[in-house]
Amino acid sequence: MKSPRVSSYQQRGWQQLAPPLALLALLAVLPLIAISTFTVTLLTEAMILAIWAMSLDLLIGYTGLISFGHAAAFGLAGYAAGYFAKKVTSDFLLALAVAEIVVALVAAVLGFIVVRVSGIAFAVISLCIAQVLFTIAVVWREVTDGMDGMVGVPLPKLGGMTIGPGYDLYLLTAVSLCTVYVVLVRLVDSPFGRTLQAIRTNEERAASIGINVYLHKWIAFVFSWAVAGLAGTLMVFLKAGTTPMSLHWTESGNVLIMVIFGGIGTLLGPIIGAEAASTILPFIRLEDPRLHMSVYSISESSDVLYGIAPTKMLELLSAVAGEAADGSIYGLHKALDKLKDKAPHLVQDRRFQKLATQAFLD
Amino acid sequence: MDLNFFFINALNGVVYGAFLLLTSLGLSLVFGLGRVVNFAHGAFYALGGYALVVAMQRLGASYWLALAVAPLPVMLLALAIERSTIYPIRDRPEIYTLLLTFGLSFVLIGGVEYLWGTSTTLVAAPAPYAGTVRLFGNEFPVYRLVAAGISLLMSACVFAVIQFTPIGLRIRAITDDPGMAEALGIDTQSLLTVVFGAAAGLAAFAGGLGAPIFAVHPDMGSGILLDSFLAVILGGLGNLPGTAMGALFVALAKSIGGGYVAEWSTAVLFALVALALIFRPTGLFGRGRVA
Repeated sequence: MKSPRVSSYQQRGWQQLAPPLALLALLAVLPLIAISTFTVTLLTEAMILAIWAMSLDLLIGYTGLISFGHAAAFGLAGYAAGYFAKKVTSDFLLALAVAEIVVALVAAVLGFIVVRVSGIAFAVISLCIAQVLFTIAVVWREVTDGMDGMVGVPLPKLGGMTIGPGYDLYLLTAVSLCTVYVVLVRLVDSPFGRTLQAIRTNEERAASIGINVYLHKWIAFVFSWAVAGLAGTLMVFLKAGTTPMSLHWTESGNVLIMVIFGGIGTLLGPIIGAEAASTILPFIRLEDPRLHMSVYSISESSDVLYGIAPTKMLELLSAVAGEAADGSIYGLHKALDKLKDKAPHLVQDRRFQKLATQAFLD
Repeated sequence: MDLNFFFINALNGVVYGAFLLLTSLGLSLVFGLGRVVNFAHGAFYALGGYALVVAMQRLGASYWLALAVAPLPVMLLALAIERSTIYPIRDRPEIYTLLLTFGLSFVLIGGVEYLWGTSTTLVAAPAPYAGTVRLFGNEFPVYRLVAAGISLLMSACVFAVIQFTPIGLRIRAITDDPGMAEALGIDTQSLLTVVFGAAAGLAAFAGGLGAPIFAVHPDMGSGILLDSFLAVILGGLGNLPGTAMGALFVALAKSIGGGYVAEWSTAVLFALVALALIFRPTGLFGRGRVA
């Protein structure tokens, strides 16, 4: 395994906040420059997925825990926030607080046990946890409405004002995304974050110099779940409901692929991966006539698209070329060089080039 | 509780267990040999079902002929996949192949949906076994019993191959101690390729055999994949007799438990597997290995 990518944030104070603030400003004005409500919603969803993907990257890229059940945190928070908003009040901050408490409690208890294993065992156990929650969401009909899903979650309120479904929620999500990004960048660069990376690089060595490995992993696990909980809360308000599928293991796989595609251990990569997987790539395969029909048909056919969407193809290709797990986008140029030897016609392909260009945009 | 209800659930559990056995044996073998956690196994199962449908509908083959032929293209595909994707990253930690096969499963299922659509295809049970038989006052489809018998027979063949043939000896040697086996001159890599292909063929055979019972649709492999994983982990990864016990246990727990407490049995199973991994990482029956 290669040495971990250590973020090179040397700036201090305001300088460090400049890039995310600039991004936030850009995101804020973006919808004003004439894009449709549908696109705004799509972008909101992409940003929510980006928060989720970053939380997973904290586990995978910085702690070395490859979670195959990260949907657990996301879906659990969605149910908690949604149930609270329906039954008590739809105040966003209160619902978020409730969701975070639930997620943090569950993560604290489960994490206490699961951080003691690593590698494949951790991956499978985390998958099992998500599937248990999935099953509970299906069976516990009194609270979750079973497989029908929880519907009719009211619009969130913030300080008495209702947050509208379009631009308002978009803005709230953009602020959340930038906040999470800043917090996570600071976190992985802090002594705590460096310790995590030390554990990721060599667990035994970290333990031998006196680091409490389990404690650090446990804190990272709970924190990662909490961040995913924020994403889940936003998502339940965006969709005005949730279904057990938000906890399903294929959903965990999707977010994992966003992180891999974007680049493990980079934080910025997963954002791009999430944007690419949710907003850009579904539109690249233009040959499919079903794509052009309607919004509905896009959401309907997205499963088919997802299946052979270039995301997965790219992941595979870069894995074949041997650059996958250390950040596909960052390692992609190397992968492309190798691919040129192995499959010249593919690199010549126009669609592939478009995709690759997209990948290089960061 | 009604004894008949219990009996039918138990019988269904045994039938399902026989299928699970066929798929989880392949999973367990591939893990034992190459430490490959194969998430694409369910996709091979689904491909087997589709290959059967294609052979029957396009080529007009009879059910049994189609069943015999269906695993072959899937095996070839699996061989190609192993050589082109898993082989190049064989030196990396196991988790890499896990991620790779997970991506592969999406690509394969996506390909299935692209070629044949997302609708469900029903396959009729072959003529002499299409009816039902009366068992303890219940009508039970004959084909289920026949299919269970065939899968048990196939599984017995797998065990026989592992136990009594030279190639089986090598497989056992590698599973036991890969380093020592290589030092003795066993070609681990080519053996993994062969076993990967054979395991995919077994899964495809199970998919074809199960088509008249479970129907053919793109998502057909995901449920059985997860259950196979549970069986393999409970039995101890790479431990074949344990895997067989695990398969039966999972199937009976799902089927009998499911009859009384609905989906809760699944939740309990997953929780049990998580606990097993933490406290008995060698599986409930010992002797297995975990990363």
